[in-house]
Amino acid sequence: MIPFLEIKVDKFTFRVDPTCFFNSEGVWVRVAGNRARLGLSDFLQQRSGDIAFVEVKPEGSLVSFNGAFSTIETIKVNIDLSSPVTGKVVLVNPALENTPEVINQDPFGEGWICEVELNEWEADQSRLLDATAYFELMKREAEDEVKNI
Amino acid sequence: MIKSIQKIVIVPCSGIGKSYGTVSRVAAYQVTDEDRPDQTQLIPLALLVMGDEATRKILAESQAVTIDGCKLGCAAKMVRQSGGQVAREFAVLDVFRRYRDFKPQGIAELNEGGEKLADALAKEIDAVVDELSNSKEGDSHA
Amino acid sequence: MPELQQKKIGIIACSGEELPEGTVTRLAALRVLEQLRPSDTVTICLPLFLAGGEGDRAFAKFYPTIAIDGCEKRCAYRGTEQYSNRPAVGIVVSDLITQDGLEQPVGRRKLNAAGMQAVERTADLAANKVDELLGKSWSRREGRFDGPQAPAQEEGAATCSCGSGIPIQKVQVNGQEMSLVALPLIFQNLFQQGRIPGNDVADEMMAMVKIYNEINPEIEADVKVVVIEAYAGYFRKQEGEA
Repeated sequence: MIPFLEIKVDKFTFRVDPTCFFNSEGVWVRVAGNRARLGLSDFLQQRSGDIAFVEVKPEGSLVSFNGAFSTIETIKVNIDLSSPVTGKVVLVNPALENTPEVINQDPFGEGWICEVELNEWEADQSRLLDATAYFELMKREAEDEVKNI
Repeated sequence: MIKSIQKIVIVPCSGIGKSYGTVSRVAAYQVTDEDRPDQTQLIPLALLVMGDEATRKILAESQAVTIDGCKLGCAAKMVRQSGGQVAREFAVLDVFRRYRDFKPQGIAELNEGGEKLADALAKEIDAVVDELSNSKEGDSHA
Repeated sequence: MPELQQKKIGIIACSGEELPEGTVTRLAALRVLEQLRPSDTVTICLPLFLAGGEGDRAFAKFYPTIAIDGCEKRCAYRGTEQYSNRPAVGIVVSDLITQDGLEQPVGRRKLNAAGMQAVERTADLAANKVDELLGKSWSRREGRFDGPQAPAQEEGAATCSCGSGIPIQKVQVNGQEMSLVALPLIFQNLFQQGRIPGNDVADEMMAMVKIYNEINPEIEADVKVVVIEAYAGYFRKQEGEA
């Protein structure tokens, strides 16, 4: 298993799954065949806070690159998440109905948000960050946040 | 014959990192100081974990209701580790999901939404206290 | 070479619910964290800390902390010492009230005026202690704080290079020099536990190293080998001196 990339800022540790691609917001995508799972990065979930509600486009819906596919609500923020892929939602994580906090507990594993059947993966991938590039972006954002307190 | 009822112990997490911790604290005070003062007793979590004998004795002889701010569940976990019987555990995050309009902000001082959430939580705890005072239930979740 | 983190002070309040002094600790800590020294301090959540919060315990192990307790039972101070490391400073509100001749605070959910005065006094004291721990001093002429004094560089394996107060150790990995923050303390910790150098302790040691240092995954295995050897050398030296 390839180890996660990690950075520590103050008492917080932020991890990046090396098997994923990311948009600049921090939404990850992990591809298997012609389907992909989407979720929130560790940094994004920690920055947002405890997730109280999650709304996801229902199964059968079409999503486009950069179009909104989900909304998360915490006591700190309401965020519309942009899709890193183009395709059709085929499965929404059933755990999110009653235990959306699974996104905070295991953002790259059990906390996945939905699965999408891909239409234009080659074009979408060229517009995404690989894990290393996202890690560098995340580092800068994490350090900036600490400096701006 | 009237049976003497052991007070129910209320244990908030009082976490300082999030508004939820303050909601847990305020709700606990409302229950023990205002709503059900004769039936409940508040126990400081840190005192319990640090092994204060008097506190542990009270816990050993009582049923506990824990109030955690978030799903990390520090109060419920440590009450159990200290040998306590958790009759009911609350997580403020879960209660917030039932009262979506009462969005808490502020840690040192709660906003109006936070005060209302604490009040709603306190009322749920009052109901549990009444239930427990009249029966001998074991562990269950709220 | 990994970047060294800015030194910060951890603030741990008891938040004891039984006494008004517990509420004083909570509000005083928040005043320091949010208003007086926001960029110099980090909050340590005591319940999370006691329940096993790894991030908080690791932070308190290697960064200075200020424990603010309401009464002589000192749950925050004792808890930090027991599960992580002794706080650099301990403040007890009940003692401070007596020393300064302040009025006794009243109210747990909401403090009275005397309670808020105790909050101000406690927060000011804690903020001053933050400055002391960071090595800052107030320059009246300049009207601002002077920066931290750079510590004298010492020759040898373990030197403090960033003013953070955390010792580092230089090692050679694949012919390149690498500074590993907190390595001497990690070795000291393991030796005190009687952990013998070898593969059994290697993973645990690397997990601790990675808390304080960014290790490129491509060379992690090489770093591990070097760290094991360095610990073996440390262990032999300590045993020889015992």
